[in-house]
Amino acid sequence: MQTHVCDCEQIAQDAAATERELYAKLDEMIEAHRGQKGVLIQVLHKAQELFGWLPEAVQIKVAEGLDVPLSEVHGVLTFYSFFNTVPRGKHTIRVCLGTACYVRGGKEILEKLQKELKIQVGGTTEEREFSLEINRCVGACGLAPVVTVGADIYRRVKLDKIPGIVAKYKGNGA
Amino acid sequence: MTMEKLYRSHVLVCAGAGCVSSGCHAVADALTSEIAKHNLQDEIKVIQTGCIGTCDLGPVMVIAPEGVFYTKLKPEDAVRIVEEHLLKGRVVEDLLHTYEEGGQSFRSVDELPFFQLQKKLVLRNCGVIDPANIDEYIAREGYSALGKVLTEMTPEQVIHEMIKSGLRGRGGGGFPTGRKWQFAAASKGDQKYVLCNADEGDPGAFMDRSLLEGDPHAIIEGMLIAGYAIGASIGHVYVRAEYPLAIERLSQALDQAREYGLLGDNVLGTGHKFELDIRMGAGAFVCGEETALMASIEGKRGEPRPRPPFPAVSGLWESPTVLNNVETYANVAMIINMGAEEFAKIGTEKSKGTKIFALAGAISNTGLVEVPMGTDLGTIIYDIGGGIRGGRKFKAAQAGGPSGGCIPKEHLNVPMDYDSLIELGAMMGSGGLIVMDENTCMVDLARFFLDFIQDESCGKCTPCRVGTKRMLEILDRIAHGDGKEGDIELLIDLGERIKDSALCGLGQTAPNPVLSTLRYFRHEYEAHIRDKKCPACVCNAMFEAPCSHTCPAGTSVPKYLSLISNRRFSDALRIVRDHNPFPAVCGRVCNAPCEDKCRRSQIDEPLSIRNLKRYVADVEMKDTKMPPVKTRGTKSGKKVAIIGGGPSGLTAAYHLARMGHTPTVFEALPEAGGMLVWGIPEYRLPKAVLREEIRAIEELGVTIKCNTRVGKEITMDAIKSGFDAVYVATGADKSWNLEIPGEESEGVYDSIKFLRDAALGESIPVGENVVVVGGGNAAIDAARTSLRLGAKHVTIAYRRLREDMPADPYEIHEAELEGVVVRFLVLPTEVVAEGGKAKSLRCQLLELKEFDKSGRRSPKAIEGEVIDIPADTVISAISQEPELDFLGGNTIETKRGKIWVDKQTGATSADGIFAGGDVVTGPATVIEAIGAGITAAQGIDRLFGGDGVIPSDIEDIVIPQPAEDVDDIVETPRAEMPSISVEKRNRFAEVETGYERDVAIREANRCLRCDACNQESR
Repeated sequence: MQTHVCDCEQIAQDAAATERELYAKLDEMIEAHRGQKGVLIQVLHKAQELFGWLPEAVQIKVAEGLDVPLSEVHGVLTFYSFFNTVPRGKHTIRVCLGTACYVRGGKEILEKLQKELKIQVGGTTEEREFSLEINRCVGACGLAPVVTVGADIYRRVKLDKIPGIVAKYKGNGA
Repeated sequence: MTMEKLYRSHVLVCAGAGCVSSGCHAVADALTSEIAKHNLQDEIKVIQTGCIGTCDLGPVMVIAPEGVFYTKLKPEDAVRIVEEHLLKGRVVEDLLHTYEEGGQSFRSVDELPFFQLQKKLVLRNCGVIDPANIDEYIAREGYSALGKVLTEMTPEQVIHEMIKSGLRGRGGGGFPTGRKWQFAAASKGDQKYVLCNADEGDPGAFMDRSLLEGDPHAIIEGMLIAGYAIGASIGHVYVRAEYPLAIERLSQALDQAREYGLLGDNVLGTGHKFELDIRMGAGAFVCGEETALMASIEGKRGEPRPRPPFPAVSGLWESPTVLNNVETYANVAMIINMGAEEFAKIGTEKSKGTKIFALAGAISNTGLVEVPMGTDLGTIIYDIGGGIRGGRKFKAAQAGGPSGGCIPKEHLNVPMDYDSLIELGAMMGSGGLIVMDENTCMVDLARFFLDFIQDESCGKCTPCRVGTKRMLEILDRIAHGDGKEGDIELLIDLGERIKDSALCGLGQTAPNPVLSTLRYFRHEYEAHIRDKKCPACVCNAMFEAPCSHTCPAGTSVPKYLSLISNRRFSDALRIVRDHNPFPAVCGRVCNAPCEDKCRRSQIDEPLSIRNLKRYVADVEMKDTKMPPVKTRGTKSGKKVAIIGGGPSGLTAAYHLARMGHTPTVFEALPEAGGMLVWGIPEYRLPKAVLREEIRAIEELGVTIKCNTRVGKEITMDAIKSGFDAVYVATGADKSWNLEIPGEESEGVYDSIKFLRDAALGESIPVGENVVVVGGGNAAIDAARTSLRLGAKHVTIAYRRLREDMPADPYEIHEAELEGVVVRFLVLPTEVVAEGGKAKSLRCQLLELKEFDKSGRRSPKAIEGEVIDIPADTVISAISQEPELDFLGGNTIETKRGKIWVDKQTGATSADGIFAGGDVVTGPATVIEAIGAGITAAQGIDRLFGGDGVIPSDIEDIVIPQPAEDVDDIVETPRAEMPSISVEKRNRFAEVETGYERDVAIREANRCLRCDACNQESR
């Protein structure tokens, strides 16, 4: 006989399953680095790749796994801007404010995006769709000003192109 | 090793990060499949290379061996490239690079000036080889230096070779690389380390990224050699996480090197041991500092520590360590291969070899540029970089990133080497070179860098953590218009202290951007603090909109444009006339500085503000009477004498009358208007238009006394005793002489007299051949007037280039349409006369040499090259200066032949006497003269005990709100001004005919309403 499972339960079960898988991968990864010198940052990179951010539970796992005090793990990950301790939107929009982009109007682009998304730099929209960040030079200075959305790069962005760029990702989970 | 297959052609598709983001992979894929479709895959090989260097033209490709260079490619272009070029051998012309549409196209990479002046040594493989294929690196001498070092040289010899080469670190400080290696080699330790700093964090620098992406093996080989030299068996490359492509290419290269036995326990079978891996950064700028970088590799917070001990003694894991940057390592194998002596021949005495610069910002050709050390900045910017984008003016280059400084236009001749840059208060840094034009505000730039530093300061030491915060606060308030006297001194004091006391390189150099902008652009800081002006129109908090902020008369441009788009022409004109009594005049002849700053140009083109002003003025003057302006309605009984009836004097009179005072204008000539009537020809500004606006000024109660020259018809003393205040606005109408032999000949005029006589209708015997000397609007006016007076050939002789001419480009264009010929780079040396009459103008031909203080190349004589231009009339229009004799014995302070005034009030050094316009500034624009008139009127009112506020009722005009939905701005070019065709132009009829109603409304609708945005953000 088939058991009937309602959708929401299914989703919750799936989520739990993926989380279990993720933690299993995390354990594996930590295991591979155990005992090596100076690997904390590299391990945190890989953990963030798995989870998208670094929840406290993950930090604890890393600390225990590498035999480093949790305070040190926390100290290190808060030092570096790449690590996130809060969940992010599905899409991270980054406006480059390197000097070249800045000289070519990156600041106005950022202001426009803040208005468009109604969030500040570092913020995430209510529905967790977008996070807004600034970049300090992606090294594509020839194409300034540059905006990146996830892995997509928009070059020589003009103010009037912003709504179109945002619209492209709205309601798109990918 | 397997024998490489031979191909008839190689297609090199640039796959540097710039081109990747432009979509080069899709182009390469399309090309590969198209080649396969034609069964050419055995003849033609597609190679994805590292950065070719022309980042703004991507995707780009080079077809070898012929070197044809295609730019801005799309996948669909692949069909034609294969069918035309690769099959039939025909170059696809429209894919070649041109600097301007329809301009000359460049067939091959070698033809492009961008490449011609470079010396690609370190970048020799970038854009040529496939970085993912180690064999291609080996085929170009790759790893041969390593082989030589391991088999033929002792470590001491390697170090000696590096010292002899004179190579200095390319990461910033410029410490001699060989010496650094020597120290590390001499240090005792069981385990030593070789580190590569690829944490290229300086915004605007991307040469290290390009090297890692385009030629990763060169860095691996350099590190291997360093390891051998100092006795290290472990190396790490610390790459910033922002460079995923570089990380990918480098790891691939490391795998290949391992596979080929170039890394590991037995390098090249020699028993030498070296292991190398990648350590990824995590987004902390301070990790570019060497001690912080090592802490980060150790997995700790990237906080710096004091030195000594230096890394060569105690570095990573407290062991002797050599840390060099990417570009430095990329030099190493090359030096071994070419020999230290050869290498040392390149560059300057103290800076050897080449340097890669990342050229970006407001420059035409952005990208990577490698030149010999000591190449001057101007060559890099103008000859290689193609000059400033959009024909704007160069303001400064920022060298060395947040630790560096600015180089202003006065120093375009600076040789780019370590020591010369330090002398100017900048530094080489990693080689980022950001070019800035007049639209960059130096206060804002300093604020940007300090904000960056503030963000990136690790917080360990107080001077950096707190000191830069305090500096940022001061800059913030200056940028908000709340700066105070003493702020500049405070910034300098704080900056010097932070430099002295911060712990690491980041902190010690943090104040540099502020100190260096203060050194060269102090006047900009002062404009922010004292005048509450941001000359570049960047500091939003200080203004309504860039256009009105730039207008010397302070006209509220967005307001009247919005009224035009709502068909409220009368209200629009009231807004203009609230500041400026000459809307119809300015609508024709203003140089419109507002348009230069119009933000619409970021989308397509600036608004045609001048033409719109003309439209409302014309419409109102034709249909109705001019709308009234607000006055105080009371009389003060104060009398003001205004000397000079030009735009400045009349503007002052207009506002003084509105404030209830009684102005009298003394004009020497038979009609008021100054240069507007005597200098600007009828075909540009009809006298009737001018008279109408002067009439409206008179209606307010202004008396104009013509034919009354002060010093002749009335004395200065009589004026001083008969009036409560005086405004001197006599202009600058004494023409400079050419100071050449033959100038006294018949047929030689100065432009002022020539144009004045023409305006007076006096007959001027203009010859067949006229030569006008000069490059400003007066020269153009004289040339076009000569044509109208019957001259057959009119030539303008100018000593520099077209882009240097002060005249309005539109005017130059119109003159040429009418048949005027402009000759550049000529200097008159003699008026050749026969029987006392001018026959020709002898000119020395010139060529452009090094840059002068104005940031332009200075013209120098070409020995022996002289020409005679036939000329029976020669008109000198080089410059003018004020005539001040009428002041008599009155002691008014002057400066370089001009009257000195207090900029805020227009007051001179003498009590009750004010001055403004050209007599203060020298020859300037109509709108500046009007602005000075406003300032003086306010100053005089305050002298009389008033508040200096001009009565206004424009606050009552309801300004239309901008449309909510401005998201879908469609790119639209600005409306062209219609004009009479060249054939139909007769003597002095006005050439431009003005906008039609619907054109004007459409044009006004293009306004982005910056005023609304700025209100929100203020």
